[in-house]
Order: sequence, then C-alpha cells, then structure tokens
Amino acid sequence: MKDFDRRWIFLAMGIVVVSLFTLEKPTEMPPSEYVQSYYDTIEALPEGSIVMLSADFDPASAAELLPTYQATIHHLLRRNIRVINVATWPAAPPYTRAGFDEIAPLYGKAYGTDWVELGFIPGDDVAMGSIGQSLRSAYATDDRDSTPIAELPLLDGIQDRMEGIEVLISMSAGYPGILEWIAQVGGRYEVPILTATTAVQTPDLFAYYPTQLSGFAGAATGATQYLQLVTVDMPVAVEGEPETLVDVKVNNQERMLIQAGAHMLILLLILVGNLLYFFTKGSR
Amino acid sequence: MKREIPIAMTMLAGLIVTAAFFSKAPWLQAANAELLSWALIFFSVAFLLGIGNLFRINLKQIAMRHPDWPYKAILLITLSGYLILGLLEIEGFIVYGDGSLGNKVYQDWIHGAVFKPLQATMFSLLAFYIASAAFRAFRARSFEATLLLGAGAVVMLAQVPLPIPGGSAIGSIVQPMQHFLMAFVNTAGQKAIIMGAALGVLATGLRIVLGIERSYLSE
Repeated sequence: MKDFDRRWIFLAMGIVVVSLFTLEKPTEMPPSEYVQSYYDTIEALPEGSIVMLSADFDPASAAELLPTYQATIHHLLRRNIRVINVATWPAAPPYTRAGFDEIAPLYGKAYGTDWVELGFIPGDDVAMGSIGQSLRSAYATDDRDSTPIAELPLLDGIQDRMEGIEVLISMSAGYPGILEWIAQVGGRYEVPILTATTAVQTPDLFAYYPTQLSGFAGAATGATQYLQLVTVDMPVAVEGEPETLVDVKVNNQERMLIQAGAHMLILLLILVGNLLYFFTKGSR
Repeated sequence: MKREIPIAMTMLAGLIVTAAFFSKAPWLQAANAELLSWALIFFSVAFLLGIGNLFRINLKQIAMRHPDWPYKAILLITLSGYLILGLLEIEGFIVYGDGSLGNKVYQDWIHGAVFKPLQATMFSLLAFYIASAAFRAFRARSFEATLLLGAGAVVMLAQVPLPIPGGSAIGSIVQPMQHFLMAFVNTAGQKAIIMGAALGVLATGLRIVLGIERSYLSE
C-alpha cells in the first residue's frame, strides 16, 4: 500500500466533485433544533431592534459561512432590524461591504440609519472585550468613509456595556470567533448570541447551547437548513435575473450533494484502507 | 526597580480588568475601558513593528541574493503597493465614482480578484488531501481507534443527504445516533475540557498577576 500513487485518490475525488457539480440536483434537509433556534431568535426581535453582526472569517471559510452571512443580512433587513457591523478578521470587511451594498437597496435601507460598518479591529479577545465595554472607545470612525461614529444616527441609542444591542451574531471561522465572543461579551453583558461556524468548530458549540448560545448554524449543512427557513415565503428564482437569496439557497442545496459524495468517497477509502490493512497484516 | 515596576504595573492592570468583571463601579469601568484602549493601541503598533521587521529581514535577503529573492521582492512590492493604495484611498486622493460606495472600492477589488480566489483555492485542496490521509492513516488498530472511526463515520453520514438508493433510510438510522454523539457524548467531553482549561487559565492568570510567573519579563 506504501507504493500506491495517491494521485488516483485525487482523481477519484475530482471526478466525484465535478460529476455531482454538473448534476445540479438540489437536496432538501430538515432544519435541526439549533438552526431553528437561530432563525426563531431573529424572528422574535421587535422591528427597529439593533443587532451587532461580527464577520470573523476570511476567504478560506467563505464557502461555508458566506451563504449564512448573506441570508442573515436578508433576514435582518427584511424584518427592519438595524445592523452594526464589526470584524475581528482583517479579510472580512470586504464581504460586509459587498453584502450590504447589494442587499440593503432591495429593502430600501440607508447607510448610517439602518446599518453601519465599523470594520476590522485588531486585538482578538481584547478587541471583543473593548467593543463590549465601550463601542465608542473601541472605534473612532466608521470603515466606509471614515465618518466619526458620533455622527452615525444608528449609534445614538447605544451605550457602554452593550446596552441597546439586542443580539450579537458572529460568523465564526476559528480564533478569534464565537468562543471568544461568549467569554468576553455574552456572559458578561447578558447579550443573546447566535453564530454560524465552520464544520471544524461546530462540535465546540454544543456545550454552550442553549444557555450561552441561543442558536447556531453549523457549516454548509446549517447554511442549507437556514436558507430553507429564510426563503420559505420568497418567490422562486428566475433565470437571467440577478442572483437572489433563492439562488443562494439552490446553490447551497446543490453543494450539499457534492459534499455528500465527498463524504461517501472518504468513508469508502477508509473502509478499503482498513480491509487492505487487515488482509495484509499477516504478510507484514 | 527594573523588575519591581513592571510586576507592579502587571498586578495593577490585572486586578483592575478582573475586578471590572464583577463590579459596575463607574471609576472601575472607566479604568477598564482605558486599559483596553491602550491594549488595542499596542496591538496596532505591533502591526507596524511586524511590517518593519518583514522589510528588514527580506531586504537583507534580497541584497544577499538569497535563492528565493524574487519571491521576497514580490512580497515587499505587493505589501507596499496595497498599503500605499489603501492610504491614498482612505485619505481621499483616489475616489471611485461619486464616492457613495465608500473609500475602499479599489482595495476591495484587489481583495476580490486576487486574495479571495487564491486563499479559497488553497483551502479547497484540503478535500483532496483529507481523502488521501483518510485512506492511509485512519486504521482500526485498537478498540479506541475503532470507536473513533465508528463515531466519525456516523457523524459524516448523518451530516449530509445521502444520494444513494435507501439513503433516507440510512439517514433516519444515523441521524439519531449523531444527535446522541454530538449533544451528549461530545458535550460532556467538551464541558470537562472547557472547565479544566478555564481552571488552568485562572491559575496562570493568578500567577502572573501575583508576580509568581515572570516569563514575560524574560526571566
């Protein structure tokens, strides 16, 4: 087995991914209790509430987190909830700008009153603690055009210690991310927290649900389930028109099929590897 | 005094930040906010130090014609170019359109056209390497390894809709098993680890605040 050329495995994986990619078959998944709770927490917010949305990811994890991020922006703005955007990862703010520039006009939302971009802040956990302690001390200006934050009407009702912020949502790809938000802000200021995470980080979250974490959407599976909930009453996608949230949902459902194929191939490889191991054990 | 003053400062800062967790006294909260602001400034200055160090090391190697010197030159040119573009855009010397899209449009374009596809490609390669590693390394060599393999297989199968005949029947069997593994077995283990780590952090924090642990002073 030592002489086995691993490029055959790469080829098999390539064939599985490409063939299922061309199949374009969306697959439905029933929402888990954790994703349902993520959705319900946002649904329960009164109109006009203020939510802090933290982008804690970069392009490496965008495939897992961006669909939930975009769907969350749609969900919040559609429900007339106002959003303060922050980021603890330096490569995240472009996703915030792109998302809001594209989605906010669909709901007639204006910068400064309905959403603000405060941008990346260095310092990891310390930065999170600082945001929780005093948003105005942590940020002097916004990230869009360096407007002093005192001139942003959305922040008028925000006080120190997270007063005025109803929910904190973290799109978390690792460190710093959701676990640090829980430690620095959630428990200390009693702010409900929601999160979407990568698959690697998802097992860490069960220990915090439902007391310190009100809901979570784990990886592409969670994204698919959440997108199904958010798009329940939305019109179907129209070919030739700009990408809508329904397109994002369908794309994600198609990707689940690819992920399923990849999972099954990996399990098959583990099985074959173990069979070979046991059958050749004696000869070694 | 070279030792006593830093230890006293550490103790004071540690006590204030810790006490601010438990008390809402305005003076304590104000002191805590001030200390956190200082920490953010230190972090930002660290970026500048990092950039300076990067230039120092790479310029030296370029001058010595290190075998990789062209890559090091590309690194410095890219770093400087992005930094200069960013500063010009933030300061308003370069404006996209009527400026309504903010002052990061060109930086975002580079991010979307260069950085995003490169990093996403690197991460996508994991699918291939994980498959290869799974074939070579995941062996049921012992009882514990077999348990680990079984649990992993259940979670992987339950995590996706299975595109095979009888896929939903398999799903209905493995999904309750996955829920049990994640919500009970995993949660119990995670909580034990979290509590253990938290006590360890608390002990280390106390040692630093009380001046017992002095490795940050290079002792």
